[in-house]
Amino acid sequence: MTTAVKAGAASTSDTPGPILRVESLTTSFRSGGAWHPAVRDVSFDLARHETLALVGESGCGKSMTALSIMGLVPKPAGRIAGGHIWFEGEDLTQLDDEAMRRIRGDRISMIFQEPMTSLNPVLTVGFQVAEALFYHRGMSGREADRMALDLLEQVKIPSARRRFADYPHQFSGGMRQRVMIAIALACRPQVLLADEPTTALDVTIQAEVLALLAELKTAYGMSMVFITHNLGVVAAIADRVAVMYAGEIVEIATVRELFRRPTHPYTELLMRSIPRVDRNIAELETIQGQVPSISAMPPGCRFAPRCPLREPRCEAAPPPLAGRSGHHVRCVVRAGA
Amino acid sequence: MIRYVVKRLLFAIPTLLAVLTIVFVIVRIVPGDPAQTILGDQASQEALENLRRRLGVDKPIAVQYIDFMQGALLGNWGESMVTGRPVLTEVWAVLPHTVDLTVAAILLGALIGVPLGTWSALHRNAPIDYATRIVSLLGLSFPAFVSGILLLLAFAIELRWFPVISAGKLDNPVDRVRNLVLPAINLGIIMAAYVTRVTRSSMLEVLGEDYIRTARAKGVPNRAVVWRHSLRNALIPVVTVVGLYLGILIGNSVLTEIVFNRPGLGKLIVSALNQRDYTMLQGLMVVYAFLIVVVNLVTDLTYGFIDPRVKHG
Amino acid sequence: MSRGAAIAAPRRGFVHALRELRRAFNTNITSWIGLGVFLAIVLFAVLAPVIAPFDPYEQHIIDRLKGPDATYWFGTDAFGRDILSRLLHGARYSLVIGSVATVSAMIIGSAIGIVSGYVGGRVDLAVMQVMDVLMSFPSLIMGLMIVAVLGPSMGNLIFAIALTAIAPFARIARAPTIVIKQRDFIEACRALGFSDLRIMVVHILPNVMAEILVLGTLWLATSIRVEASLSFIGLGLKPPIPSWGGMVREGFEVILDSAWLSIFPSLAILLIIFALNMLGDGLRDAVDPKLRGGE
Ligand SMILES: Nc1ncnc2c1ncn2[C@@H]1O[C@H](COP(=O)(O)OP(=O)(O)O)[C@@H](O)[C@H]1O
Ligand SMILES: [Mg+2]
Repeated sequence: MTTAVKAGAASTSDTPGPILRVESLTTSFRSGGAWHPAVRDVSFDLARHETLALVGESGCGKSMTALSIMGLVPKPAGRIAGGHIWFEGEDLTQLDDEAMRRIRGDRISMIFQEPMTSLNPVLTVGFQVAEALFYHRGMSGREADRMALDLLEQVKIPSARRRFADYPHQFSGGMRQRVMIAIALACRPQVLLADEPTTALDVTIQAEVLALLAELKTAYGMSMVFITHNLGVVAAIADRVAVMYAGEIVEIATVRELFRRPTHPYTELLMRSIPRVDRNIAELETIQGQVPSISAMPPGCRFAPRCPLREPRCEAAPPPLAGRSGHHVRCVVRAGA
Repeated sequence: MIRYVVKRLLFAIPTLLAVLTIVFVIVRIVPGDPAQTILGDQASQEALENLRRRLGVDKPIAVQYIDFMQGALLGNWGESMVTGRPVLTEVWAVLPHTVDLTVAAILLGALIGVPLGTWSALHRNAPIDYATRIVSLLGLSFPAFVSGILLLLAFAIELRWFPVISAGKLDNPVDRVRNLVLPAINLGIIMAAYVTRVTRSSMLEVLGEDYIRTARAKGVPNRAVVWRHSLRNALIPVVTVVGLYLGILIGNSVLTEIVFNRPGLGKLIVSALNQRDYTMLQGLMVVYAFLIVVVNLVTDLTYGFIDPRVKHG
Repeated sequence: MSRGAAIAAPRRGFVHALRELRRAFNTNITSWIGLGVFLAIVLFAVLAPVIAPFDPYEQHIIDRLKGPDATYWFGTDAFGRDILSRLLHGARYSLVIGSVATVSAMIIGSAIGIVSGYVGGRVDLAVMQVMDVLMSFPSLIMGLMIVAVLGPSMGNLIFAIALTAIAPFARIARAPTIVIKQRDFIEACRALGFSDLRIMVVHILPNVMAEILVLGTLWLATSIRVEASLSFIGLGLKPPIPSWGGMVREGFEVILDSAWLSIFPSLAILLIIFALNMLGDGLRDAVDPKLRGGE
């Protein structure tokens, strides 16, 4: 096992610049005859070996951002309406289906939120791990199986050899998520998109899976976009954080900076709603109001209707994402401060 | 898997008993006095009593029930009042015709229905999908004798491609197939209509599943997403429908055999009806009871092959 | 949730059910076509004595086995009776037998399903097992068995067809009953001392109505088909009654020379079943895409 991991780390190329650059990405859905952006003007860089966390309430467009990168925006209801996704010198938004398919699962992989439904119930776990190796590496069945078994061992499935030919329903949620990780890592991707990989799991198992992910990320030398709605998890795993609200990034900074100086009012409120052991649950602050639906966005700042610091100018025009030394905030009230 | 098969076989026993009980209720209790039914209102008292003795309906109902169940389970299904031959012999003689027809219809239905349904699902809401939906709805609206008559008129009477009477000898393979074509198409298109519709809707459901997204995220090509990842899952409800349809098929084969004048269980029933052969009818109902149970059993076993959750669970 | 609000819930359910059905009509062209054709057939059947060009039993011996022409649009049969007139009158038999059988099955079946689901426990288990066995009988075979032993008459036909259709209605009514029974407002009703019967009729029935009506439409098609099939086999209404299946049977005997005798009633049967299936299918899609019709 160890040899395989080392080889993976060494294979990552060292050309300078970010491995992934998302530029003004807009992804829209059609409803009632019009296209409404679910992700709007999202930009970020992902450096090599870096973990960037995407944080925000459910429905704010985190998954759609990841799916846009994967080229898996559900058709025909949705589409990438604008922007660029640069990956190793190529704009993924310009690639055709076949070229995109070759990248998916090979150089960019994704793990999903729902371990219970994300594995095919009628195919063996071993086959599902080995499959990517057939398509991307042209391996024979035997070779792919051997490699798949190795992967199942790396993600710490107990008695992996015996369980190789088992079906997903014979595994617990935590074990299934490990299988998902093995699938995603099969071809040693350069970028891993982890979409709330622990949200559906029990708390104790969450910690195990998180630790495993962090370990493998280092071992494989990957870069990772880690999606979560839990800021508590962010501190443990990420280097930088982008906070999303209603389809937009409202604040982006390093973890240290963000926790030390949360600037956007929404980030502040999010911080205060992190559950803590030393606080009574009843005191936990929740954010008043609701996220606007994508077909009824306010014209100015999208957070304004719920914002405690709202001023008339907030509702006039959409605020820009501004700031310096890597800490950017989308707030006209706080930006100057 | 073996455990699963054994379990299904054991479960089939109570079902068989229940189905046979319903047959008993229908043939012995519902008509009141079968002897009266057979001989009509003008029959003499003496003739009635004779017949009752012969049919065994003079005994108390509980005894009748036990006799009936025992006979049915031991393969002792009585004999024809007209020919005097045992029901089992008569059934055995025509069974190959019925089996030919049924198997051909199922194959035809699956071979047309599964690809067509899949294709339709992949072109959801395109004109081709809409056309497939309407045509399949039309297909399953045909009573088997209506489609049979239209086929007969078109291909046997007008075009003369096939014989009008599909009897034929079993030992001549060319004849056997030639005689099978139209009846099999007749049963097969109705089945294809059912299979198409269910395949379509179940395929649509499967294509929206999370594990299909996982497959795409792995870079599995479209073809394999459809054939390897989706179809087997989509077939699970299709098996249910084929199972249900096998029941309808039993009924429709009666009509098909009449229209194409083809020997088989259905023809046997109709001639028993025409000759008022009460014991033959009763025996045939027992045969149908067995068929129903066998059909259910086969459906259950097929699930086990398709869906790993069933055989392990 | 306040008690008053809780008890108001089912009324919304009923309105909701109707609204769902209406939505089905507004969105589905085939439903409209199906309904239109079906209503047209009903109208023809009702007006048969007025619009039929001839008496359906009147024999025109000179005009035996005439092909379709200006006088006899659909031709005449072996007794010189006008096929069109017989078809128009025959529609009445198909519709009456089909709908009486379906409506009886609908009432009895839903009652069994609701009560069984509401009572629950072993009774429910036993009842549903009986329903499962009944349902495993193909309706044509069941109908054939019953009519074969009872003899063909209108009453027996209706009885046989209704019997085969009870189980699916019981099934479809039971499933939502079990879910609704556990909702708060039913508890509230009990607490207020409403009788079980009242709860079932006033609060549960409206919630299963939409599904029952959809299944009813589909079963009306099946009932008509079974009736026609039994008549074709010779277990239907006795001649000279112009039942559609019986007309096909008579025509089938002379199919080599006079095909129209069997073609026109065959098409009539196909048309009414197709129309009902279009209607039921569209409604089903709207009410619940997962609801599967029985057979
Ligand atoms: N299939 C879809 N059809 C229409 N709108 C969708 C669809 N999927 C997502 N959306 C829209 O995109 C928004 C963002 O969804 P998503 O990225 O899944 O949120 P998150 O992952 O942050 O919880 C949702 O609020 C919804 O409005
Ligand atoms: Mg999400």
